Amino acid sequence: MKQPQVFFVTGKGGVGKTTVAASLAVHLADEGRRVLIVETDHGGQLADLLGAGDLSAEPKPVAPRVAAARLLPRALVEDYFRGLLRLPFLANRLLNSRSFNALTAAAPGVAEFLLLQKILEWAEPGWRSRSRYDVVLIDGPATGHALKLLGTPRTIASLVPAGPIGAVARGALALLADHTRTHVLVVTLPEELAVTETLEAYDALRNDLAVDVLRPVINRIYPRRFSVHEVEQLLASDERDHPLVIAAQYQLARRRDTERHIQRLRRHLPQSPLSLPMVFDQQLSAAHLHRLGETLAPLLETAPA
Amino acid sequence: MSARRILRKKVILCVGAGGVGKTTVAASIAVASALRGRRTAVITVDPARRLKDTLGLGELSTHPRAVALAGAQEAGSLHAFALDAKHTFDALVERFAGSAAAAQRILDNRLYQELSTSLAGSAEYMAMEKLHHLVTHERYDTVVVDTPPSAHARDLLGAPNRLLDLLATRAVSLLRSPGSLLSGTGSLARVTLSTLLKALERWTGMNLLSDLSEFTAAFEHMMEGFADRARQVETLLHSPSTAFVLVTTPETHTVATTVEFHHELCEAGYPVAGVIANRVLAFPELDAEALAGNGWPERLRQRLLANYEDLRRLSRRDERMLARLQTEADAPLLAAIPLLTELPVSVVQLRRFAQYLS
Repeated sequence: MKQPQVFFVTGKGGVGKTTVAASLAVHLADEGRRVLIVETDHGGQLADLLGAGDLSAEPKPVAPRVAAARLLPRALVEDYFRGLLRLPFLANRLLNSRSFNALTAAAPGVAEFLLLQKILEWAEPGWRSRSRYDVVLIDGPATGHALKLLGTPRTIASLVPAGPIGAVARGALALLADHTRTHVLVVTLPEELAVTETLEAYDALRNDLAVDVLRPVINRIYPRRFSVHEVEQLLASDERDHPLVIAAQYQLARRRDTERHIQRLRRHLPQSPLSLPMVFDQQLSAAHLHRLGETLAPLLETAPA
Repeated sequence: MSARRILRKKVILCVGAGGVGKTTVAASIAVASALRGRRTAVITVDPARRLKDTLGLGELSTHPRAVALAGAQEAGSLHAFALDAKHTFDALVERFAGSAAAAQRILDNRLYQELSTSLAGSAEYMAMEKLHHLVTHERYDTVVVDTPPSAHARDLLGAPNRLLDLLATRAVSLLRSPGSLLSGTGSLARVTLSTLLKALERWTGMNLLSDLSEFTAAFEHMMEGFADRARQVETLLHSPSTAFVLVTTPETHTVATTVEFHHELCEAGYPVAGVIANRVLAFPELDAEALAGNGWPERLRQRLLANYEDLRRLSRRDERMLARLQTEADAPLLAAIPLLTELPVSVVQLRRFAQYLS
């Protein structure tokens, strides 16, 4: 049986990581694959997007062939220590103690490690149980934290070579290093800082972490509506202050900016970015997710699934 | 309070979620303040060093850089600081440790190295420390702080206390008598605690107990200095000459975060001046006459209309979110900054940006 593919989505805060992850999940499911999508922060946007109510660490079906789960680092740490303690009253007292919290906070990588362990359980058939999924898709944290998360197994594996923890670390390390199975997707926007952060992330992902990185996805691209010539003519006319002309001028400026940012990504990265259109509607619907998902399909050509 | 009146404050903290443009807003406030003749400093703790881009400086360091400002009123000046948590922390240890040898012992301790670089909250702590230093020792008229992105006030402002918790006597007493953490539960508690500490040691690969005991012993006599400093920072943050400015964008989740943040700040008694909404699209509803256009070819007119409708839809969403912000957070909207096609990266652009604040 084929082992599940793992997609890890990251990017600067607010670029639309969750939307991209959800669209990709929906698209993969449309293609007949069984997908688990995992939210990893407090945002709760995934549940909203999928119309799924509350999500927990236990995957639940949210659409045909799509299951969703939500992993909260803090809850993972608490569960872990509760499991170790077994006596609930002691566990509660300890977990509520500020000194103890400070101590666990100081211990590096505990939350990250538990998160990866959980993902590994889903992604590795034979790791406790056979995987029920063809794809495990992680709606990851923002770039900085994601790099830390992906770097954790290497740190732990070198610190704790033996024992069950060392084994999990090595398992996670092998999974991340497997370019045929694990793919990192960086989402960005046509904005200066988002592009800069993307270029930095690519460098760290490829060179330091040596993981497979897909084409970047550049989100919220305005459609091409006017030619430069057209807008110039409008601006040269008596109607240059007409609100419709001002709006057209604004649109063209956005487009021009976008082009510049795409060129910058092209110049510095081996793969050209994939553009995702701006959605002007008030609320993203399931139909949007399917449409955006189709636009994302070329990503999978470089990632045999 | 208007955005202009904020400029009379001594300390201005820009707070909010990640990606809302805090850095740009903080830099513009700082530029506006300097232009009005005040000696101004701006601090950023953002690891991406965005302020560096925004202020057009090649390399920011923990040492101040004067930002060239043409046309500032006579005494006005602007210095920009990028915070490096590790360096500020090290400097603090050197100041409070008593002797060079004691300082070195701490600096070499693995737990300290972990704490000072990676502990959640150390950047926040250092921002407050730097703020205190600039206000009390450097005599700036105004210090603007671009705070680390936080979803909750407690993440940002609770950091000094959380950090002190680890260092404080509770941690020390924990080492002397591990059972004290679970007072009254006797030997069972001790067994439990040692299980946990062993588990933690497995994670970290360090000899956590001995590292911690060395660390706390070295820190013990520095505690008073630290705790005293934390109290002074608290006082400064609650002072009437301080203004918290919530920076938000009109996106649903950001607005929800901002409302919650506002609530937490008020609850804790911090002086909130109001909200600055960034990246607001404002294309108004058009009347029939405007929509009819003016003799444009029909196909062009249709495209102009479709484009306007796109932007109008985004504007409508923004209007609704700002209205919700006003109802749910009882804070004045200090400014709504339009969505610009270009991020202000030069001082000239920042000055233009700053005009939206007044």
